[in-house]
Amino acid sequence: MSATRMGLAGGLAWLLCLAIPALAGSAWVAIFATFAIYAITALSEDIILGRAGIYDMGHAVYLGIGAYATAILNTAFGWPILATIPAAILAAALAGGLLSAPLIRLRGDYLLVATIGFNAIFILVMQNDPGGITGGSDGIAGIDVPALFGWQLASQNALFWLDWGVLGLALLLMRNLDRCEFGRALRYIKQDQLAAATLGVDTRRVKTLAFALGAGLAGLAGSLFAVQLSSVSPSSFVFTESVTLFAIVIVGGPGSIPGVLLGAALMFVVPEIFRDFAQYRYFVFGIAMIAVMVLRPQGLWPRRRAA
Amino acid sequence: MGTFIQQLINGLTVGGVYALIALGYTMVYGVLRLINFAHGDLCILGAFIGLTVLTGGLGGGHPGAALLALAFIAAIIAIAIAGVLLEIIAYRPLRRADRLAAVVSALGASMLIENGIMLIWGPDVHVFPPDLLPKTSWRVAGAAISFTQLMIILISCALMAALYGFVNHTRFGTAIRAAAIDQDAARLMGINVNRVIGSVFVIGPALGAVGGLFIGVYYREAYFTMGWTYGLSAFIAAILGGIGNIPGAMLGGVLLGLFNAFAAGYVSSSWQDAITFLLLIAILILRPTGLLGERVAEKV
Repeated sequence: MSATRMGLAGGLAWLLCLAIPALAGSAWVAIFATFAIYAITALSEDIILGRAGIYDMGHAVYLGIGAYATAILNTAFGWPILATIPAAILAAALAGGLLSAPLIRLRGDYLLVATIGFNAIFILVMQNDPGGITGGSDGIAGIDVPALFGWQLASQNALFWLDWGVLGLALLLMRNLDRCEFGRALRYIKQDQLAAATLGVDTRRVKTLAFALGAGLAGLAGSLFAVQLSSVSPSSFVFTESVTLFAIVIVGGPGSIPGVLLGAALMFVVPEIFRDFAQYRYFVFGIAMIAVMVLRPQGLWPRRRAA
Repeated sequence: MGTFIQQLINGLTVGGVYALIALGYTMVYGVLRLINFAHGDLCILGAFIGLTVLTGGLGGGHPGAALLALAFIAAIIAIAIAGVLLEIIAYRPLRRADRLAAVVSALGASMLIENGIMLIWGPDVHVFPPDLLPKTSWRVAGAAISFTQLMIILISCALMAALYGFVNHTRFGTAIRAAAIDQDAARLMGINVNRVIGSVFVIGPALGAVGGLFIGVYYREAYFTMGWTYGLSAFIAAILGGIGNIPGAMLGGVLLGLFNAFAAGYVSSSWQDAITFLLLIAILILRPTGLLGERVAEKV
């Protein structure tokens, strides 16, 4: 399938999914709204891990910064939800850009371990409740519903459309990223950083931007996450969540939009179908992660080679 | 002064355990350049197997030295077999694949073992029998050292000395070191690299099983997510000493144990872990090859 027809098929599938609230029960609407939020987060991880090839295993931090930014600005300072979203994006992007300064000097496994360290520190800071603003282990509850032109997005369906609307924007962003100069620079750095540098790619700048962009998009998803649950707590952003996001990208197919979406669906929608076997969830995930990697190391739906 | 000596003893005990577990991470990394994320979970699986032997053989009375030895032997054998199976199933097929595929396979194995423990033994905290070891303790310069602590320190030192001798002064140890430096060259010299890799997945998990059971005996508890908590500390110890470097893992383990003990003694314990992670990141940035690691010129 050509890239254009692939894009058309994807757009059509997205439009069809918008009709889910009209066809399915409220439980499914909630599941697919959550899927949209995690799909955006997984796509943002794909910018850093799949496209730039930077081993980021602490991506839940940026999701958490976005969620906490919205929660704190809304509950403690009374900002309307929609006004907190740009702040959440900015806070996460800023954190990503700042943390990338020490990180991108490291290579491979060392970078991976350092991001695990940042994830652990983030959780400890949230739990220790500095200045009494993060609510400690319990987190923050009672986040408002968003209002758009005086219209309260209170129903589950309205939130669903908000999440899927943002997912649509994120998909457009990812698609354009494939074609612009910045996206090509990312691919080049991933394949051969030294060659990219000798041809005049400012690798430091491109990697920092990749971190800021990926973190900012995750911050946006975090904002939606806080609204969807109307509360935030540290346990939603622990290392296991970062591992899951990391695995989604590698299992689905790094740099492949349908691959990452498929990975997110497998990790977040399929478990909902097998709710009765909830305690087997991570046990089965473990087996599945090994099996997919052994049988298809390139991922379930790998990126097409000629792009 | 008494507090200082006491923290020194506590730190050496925990440090010995960290070092035993860190050796498994560092040996696998040395030969395969792979972070074996499942190692911590294997160690705790060893603690659960040891606990099952202890409670199963305990008729309510005082356990003899024989039963305790049996628990350790059962844990060592079971975890060594599990380590070899792990390598054959999850890592061997990916030796020539992209590195990230092996990382995800390792993470999957970690999830599999951790949740396998939960499915078999349940999600609750298991308490080790109280009368497992003699309650004797000795006074040293105003501090107390218990029988358990002395046992852990002595056995850890003995095992590490044995491993050091094995790796540095035997033919097979030389083969392990050669494979760690350059696998292809080692293969050309007639070394069976598959056997070396297999042996690393026997020795590392076997030492880890001892470490895991020590954790259980020392803290008198075991729970399924413990592998992540203690595995990460041991892994930090391996990096501290220079990952891939065997004496480095020993030094790193002891230093981290001491660091944790003094941080817990003098700093608030809720920030203790944060300080450990800051230490980790500082080391990675300032001296990524660790304390004993060599500075390697970047290959182009």
